[in-house]
Amino acid sequence: MVESGFSEDHLDVLKELMNIAVGNATASIADLLQTFGTMHIPQIMISDMVGLDAYIKNAIPEEKQYYITKQLFGGIFSGEFLFVICENSAINLGRHLYDVNQNPTDEDIHDAVIELTNILSATIISRLTEELNTKVQFFVPSTERIVGNSIIGQDELLNYHKIIIISTEMVFEDQQIGGKIFILTKDEMIKKLKALIDQKLEELYA
Amino acid sequence: MKILVVDDSKLARLSLIKTLKEHEPSAEIFEAENGLIAVELFKNENPRVVFLDLTMPVMDGYEALKLIMSIDPKAQVVVVSADIQTQAQAQVLALGAKMMVPKPINSDKMSDILNRLVF
Repeated sequence: MVESGFSEDHLDVLKELMNIAVGNATASIADLLQTFGTMHIPQIMISDMVGLDAYIKNAIPEEKQYYITKQLFGGIFSGEFLFVICENSAINLGRHLYDVNQNPTDEDIHDAVIELTNILSATIISRLTEELNTKVQFFVPSTERIVGNSIIGQDELLNYHKIIIISTEMVFEDQQIGGKIFILTKDEMIKKLKALIDQKLEELYA
Repeated sequence: MKILVVDDSKLARLSLIKTLKEHEPSAEIFEAENGLIAVELFKNENPRVVFLDLTMPVMDGYEALKLIMSIDPKAQVVVVSADIQTQAQAQVLALGAKMMVPKPINSDKMSDILNRLVF
């Protein structure tokens, strides 16, 4: 048994459900970009804020500029979806989606990143919650450009006490577009997530 | 009949085997958690069907599929993956997989898969 009452079985279930959800999302983005993408095996970690800080520092080089898009979702299972894409990837995304050779405007890049995040969050979270037999409501996402791992300093992230980090990566090599996905949920939600997974396990072992 | 189920997730293996047993209760089922173990089991047990995931640690499904097809070009490999991109499907079919089906597999889907294989 690991922290927060999650057993290895719970983590395995969550990882596999995320795998299915990210597979669906990669296919949706591949359709949007009319290309082929690579999905990575999702990583699951239950941590406190110190752990999140270390995790983000390890996952995101601090010297680069990034676009970070945040979207809250609510329901029995609620939390925050973060999509982090480096500036070069975001520019390539804008060029590809707007079919232009020169650098797109900041506004166009923002729009492109928001559009990508909308598809990602809707597909991943909807698929994940569908597998857990529950539903969520999405809130309007927001995007900003930041430096490196300063995402950990964002005020709203500091509200987390105990968090579950689900992270993965998708890469569209030909277009040089890649991004990291983090799903953060906290405290009471971790217990609810565990209960939903318990139901899933009961169905499976029935 | 021997059937090999390859997936790094215990849940995915359990779920697939549960559905498989509804249709083939007498099947002798072998499990592997990555491509490397799968290839070894394939060599030793010569299963009639392999259910193979793509995204796995140590050795992924693409590499395992190549090696299995090089051992037995008539191997019946069903790729079961969350990656539902058409190019991924084209790639595994070109490597010799019989078919590629998206996860998760329910009873109807399993019935359809088994009907399309040769026993």
